[in-house]
Amino acid sequence: MAGTRRQDGLDHVDLSYPPQAEEFRDELRAWLAANIPAAWTEPGFWATVGEDEAFDLRRDWERRKALAGFAGIDWPVEYGGRGGTPAMRAIHDSELVRARAPRSVNSLGLVFLAPTVMAVGTPEQKAEIIGPMLRNEVIWCQGFSEPGAGSDLAALRTHGVLDGDEFVVNGQKVWTTFAGRGDRIFTMVRTEPGSSRHRGLSLLLIDMHAPGVEVRPIRQMSGVSEFGEVFLTDVRVPASQCLGGIGNGWATAMLLLSFERGAAGISQYTAYRQAYDEIVRVARALGRDGDPVLRQELARRRVELECLRYQAMHVLTEVEQGRDLGAASSVTKLQWSQAYQGLFETFDELLGADVALLRPTADLDLTALRQESFWTRSVTIWGGSSQVQRTIVAERVLGLPRGS
Amino acid sequence: MYFALTDEQRALAETVRAFLADRFDLRAVRAVVDDERGDGHPADLWRAIGEQGWLSVCVPQDHGGLGLGLLDAQVIAREFGAGVIPGPWAVTVLAGAAVGRAGTPEQAAAVLGPLGAGELVATVALRGPGGRLGRGGIAVRADAAGRLDGVVSGVEYAHVADVIVVAATEPDAPAGAGAGAGRGEGGVGLYLLERGGAGVRIERQASIDGTTRLAALTLTGAPAARLPGSGAAALADLLRRGAVLAAADLVGVARAALTRTVAYDTARVQFGRPVGSFQALAHHLADLHVAVTMAEHAVLYAAHALDEGRPDTDLAVAVAKSKANQAAGDATAAMIQYHGGIGYTWEHDTHFFYKRAKRLVAAFGDTRQHLEQVARLTVDTVG
Repeated sequence: MAGTRRQDGLDHVDLSYPPQAEEFRDELRAWLAANIPAAWTEPGFWATVGEDEAFDLRRDWERRKALAGFAGIDWPVEYGGRGGTPAMRAIHDSELVRARAPRSVNSLGLVFLAPTVMAVGTPEQKAEIIGPMLRNEVIWCQGFSEPGAGSDLAALRTHGVLDGDEFVVNGQKVWTTFAGRGDRIFTMVRTEPGSSRHRGLSLLLIDMHAPGVEVRPIRQMSGVSEFGEVFLTDVRVPASQCLGGIGNGWATAMLLLSFERGAAGISQYTAYRQAYDEIVRVARALGRDGDPVLRQELARRRVELECLRYQAMHVLTEVEQGRDLGAASSVTKLQWSQAYQGLFETFDELLGADVALLRPTADLDLTALRQESFWTRSVTIWGGSSQVQRTIVAERVLGLPRGS
Repeated sequence: MYFALTDEQRALAETVRAFLADRFDLRAVRAVVDDERGDGHPADLWRAIGEQGWLSVCVPQDHGGLGLGLLDAQVIAREFGAGVIPGPWAVTVLAGAAVGRAGTPEQAAAVLGPLGAGELVATVALRGPGGRLGRGGIAVRADAAGRLDGVVSGVEYAHVADVIVVAATEPDAPAGAGAGAGRGEGGVGLYLLERGGAGVRIERQASIDGTTRLAALTLTGAPAARLPGSGAAALADLLRRGAVLAAADLVGVARAALTRTVAYDTARVQFGRPVGSFQALAHHLADLHVAVTMAEHAVLYAAHALDEGRPDTDLAVAVAKSKANQAAGDATAAMIQYHGGIGYTWEHDTHFFYKRAKRLVAAFGDTRQHLEQVARLTVDTVG
């Protein structure tokens, strides 16, 4: 039936990016090719580098990338951004994965804090925060979770008491990514004594080098220590370092979390495809890629990865059309975290008894995949656990009655 | 990047949905299901479908059709699934696609005009008794003169079809076949069988899915017209289109099953509260929403890939059918479970959805076949 399709433009599905975005891709790809050391692109390279050294390498590299103009892709030019589109941002993220560039060390600042500052920050905050963040001169941490406030953020107890024009902050934060290497931390603090739940909170920007801030690393089940605990003891924070208004912390935090738009899905797909292909190579090296049951399992995982890609394209479309995403980010989170985790469950299964070994054969080093496999246990917990996401979908998308 | 239905396609979905709610609701479906001896092909409905233009969607414009693609057809298929609508719409569209793509201009003219106008019922006959989908499962042989011998099982609406596209194995490439046909492609062809021809016996087969009637064909030297452009590629194309339309119907079934279950469990009170407020149900229904949403995306992508001839079409189709299978199987099983005892009765509508999904999950490739296809395309190709 070729040549019989209606030519009135009724069929609008279009999986291509605009020429301007593709030119950007070419430019970025060329820069990446010239600026990523060859050794870094070897699968498993980062598992061979010490954590401190790896952090410094990543920090410096990302700074060079920013200075070359490849940062803040969809930020306004006035903030040092590139003034690009959501599609260009998706291309940027995806090309980094494709080129096996190291992951950002400042993503909590770049993804969440920066757009919040642009939206509700004072002129001083905008000037002080955004530029240094973009150049990795200041590494930002997030201080939301506490020992008694995980999924239930509103149960947080860290408190600040106004003393003159400074808050005196006491409390404890936990699961703080890069806690040991951060310079500043955006922190949810109860600033109205006696307040409860989501009232009386403020988002304070705290200097992690200030007196009274103590950091203790948490060793994760994978063996590495990306997370940490942050203890705050009589830490003095100028009231000018409150973002979004004193007592308005809950609304500011919700705004901040809304910037996780799910546009990252396309780069996640790229990353998980790399993992899929690596896992297939392992299966082949062990002579298990012909096993009909394993083939079904691998295929099932691949189906979920392809669905993640479609969901990412759907979200990007909604963002570009200016439509309200609603609870779509919960759908995206459930899909990517479970697809990713499931892929590594199949990885573990296909190893059989070799699951216990980091080097099952002389020329098969599984250290990096093993670390990634352990890491996937965390992805259904942080950023809103799967259980929290399901409740959001049930109540806000399906309209089911709230649980009592 | 635009990965969504257009406003026009959304409007089409709304039109179909509103029409079916008004003219062919679940009471009408039930009447068809319960009338086991009836032909399962309500004449009023078919006439209306023709008048609405829903058969002409994929008919080329030079045969009086709208000349749209599978992307538009899947919009209609979803709504038919959501309404568990009886009748030969999908197989008529499929047979039309086969004739349009592999037939002579004369064959296309004879079939597609009336087909688009709703004046002709068509179907496809692809699989022998117990056979798998594809050439290996065909139990009809064609001779050099185009006479067919053999049996076909589970043919939708063969008993009311004016024309049937039959897949047959061929001993040798027919003389004068076009390039790519016949020899070298596994010796298979598509044949056009007219209603009431000699050597054709049609017997109704009892089916679990009362919304869709099935029949067996027994062919004894039945004269048929070969679609000269057909061969293994045309058969594969037909199977891909069938898989996408079946997947679209399945996501319609799945979405309706989920929506109806949510409505029931919002109203149904036990232990003093709506049962839908219990996390044990709510979280599973949330997971089903994610699965159905992914299946909807996958069908959209596969239909687009087929329309545009994208290089990843084979993978897209296998992903769409296997995901739709899973979503619809799970959603319709949950529909029964979360309706409780009433969901297990004949009196309730749940079983229409469950049984239609059960049939379609295995039609045009079951999950195992499509997952093995995914493995062939993604495991065996890694460098």
